[in-house]
Amino acid sequence: MSITLDFDVQQLDNKRPMHLHYLPAKIVGDGECTDVDKHFNNYTRQAPEFGNGVLTNALRGYPLLGQQESVPKGYKGLVLQETDPNQAERQLRLTGTFQNFTYWNYDKVPSKSDGYQQALVMLDVAEALAEPVSEEALEEEMKLQKQAKKENA
Amino acid sequence: MNKKATRSTKPKPDPDAAPQKQAVCAVKKVFFIADNLLQAEDGADRMRLERFYHPGKGQPAWFITHHDCQIMEMLEYGEPRRSWLLNNEVCSNGRTYMTTPLDATLLALHHLRKHCSQRAMSLDSISVDASDASTNRLLTKFVTAAGLKCVADVKASGDLVFYKYNPQRTLAWLTLKTRGVVAVLKAKQVHCGLGAKSQNYVRSEKLVSENDVNEMDYLRMACDYVGRYLDADLHEELTRYLQIPSEIQALVEEKSSAQKRKSQQGQPSANSKKIKLANGEDAASQLRNSSLLDSDDGKDSITSPPTPAPLKERTMTAKEKALAKGAKGSKSIASFFKAK
Repeated sequence: MSITLDFDVQQLDNKRPMHLHYLPAKIVGDGECTDVDKHFNNYTRQAPEFGNGVLTNALRGYPLLGQQESVPKGYKGLVLQETDPNQAERQLRLTGTFQNFTYWNYDKVPSKSDGYQQALVMLDVAEALAEPVSEEALEEEMKLQKQAKKENA
Repeated sequence: MNKKATRSTKPKPDPDAAPQKQAVCAVKKVFFIADNLLQAEDGADRMRLERFYHPGKGQPAWFITHHDCQIMEMLEYGEPRRSWLLNNEVCSNGRTYMTTPLDATLLALHHLRKHCSQRAMSLDSISVDASDASTNRLLTKFVTAAGLKCVADVKASGDLVFYKYNPQRTLAWLTLKTRGVVAVLKAKQVHCGLGAKSQNYVRSEKLVSENDVNEMDYLRMACDYVGRYLDADLHEELTRYLQIPSEIQALVEEKSSAQKRKSQQGQPSANSKKIKLANGEDAASQLRNSSLLDSDDGKDSITSPPTPAPLKERTMTAKEKALAKGAKGSKSIASFFKAK
């Protein structure tokens, strides 16, 4: 079973960047909503009292604290859409791309202790794990291990 | 009557409307895709999400492939209450899908251990044994010869190459991988100790004491991370190979060292104050007997001052004793409810 990401890589540059908000709320329902610019972005304010670059807004009366985030270095943000999940040959189509988005927290200044920030550390950890090991380093390690065994015995 | 009618008619339009709406805007997903997958060389070739057996999970998982040679893992980040706002659209799926680099040798390791621990086999013949085609695809397309050389003995005969699983090489290879992970965890200042800590607290504390950072905690965390890609028994083997004590043992050690006062830490026999308990046992032996400590930690516990924990336990047992004495001769409560 496989899913094809059905788009040409060259398409990426032609797309207009999308505006994304990462909201700290579960929303039941998908699709077109109100005019976000008019009803949400309009109320975004700088809040220097919470720190550099911190933004405030509110969602249904609940205070939000946020900041601009960019997609991790070496990555591109893509929004993909599955047209029909019931098909035998599943496909994802490209909706748009983004390099920045606004990360919102409910009532908490975004910081390194947020789950999202910690998840990004995993990207670097995964990279370290994927790093190929050289033949010489491997031989060296096995030699050391043999020596340690002899000393113990 | 009238009310009832409106109730039953009201939900009617909904089931018709809902599927229509869904058809218009099908579920969208937010991806972080690595730049090296997005290099435009050959426009006709598409990236694909495929399922391969994931040894750590014990079941197939999603991976992203490109050009029939690049492979990356598809990680999913989600919080319980998150959603995306994409331009003017709500996306209830608050997950972010990230591609992370992956050494396909880790995936091949499972198949090598399964089939090639006794005899050398060619990659094609391993795949024949397996029931699905994904193993064949994984081993022939994405696993590199250089990677396999790190975990197996290679024997070439003419055009055919045979592999035999080599445990020593594999463990040494995994050790090097684990060290690489340790280096990153340290560089990123990830807190690997036991228990949770506030990020802010750690930061300010660091200026005062750097000895908070325990080498073994980093190694354990890294080993656990590497272990997420290994069969469970190989993970255990690696833990033993790296001589990582179990977490419970470490907890006990940390506890006993935390109990020591700083002035007492250097001088093991300095502590002469032993609080006598009612039955004449001193606190150190009490602690030793209370199974809080392993027997080999006995030396350590002598130096540690008595803790409230064992004392509390004693009063509890006395209370229990009194209760037991009072309850002597009385019927068990269960006997009242027995069928006669």
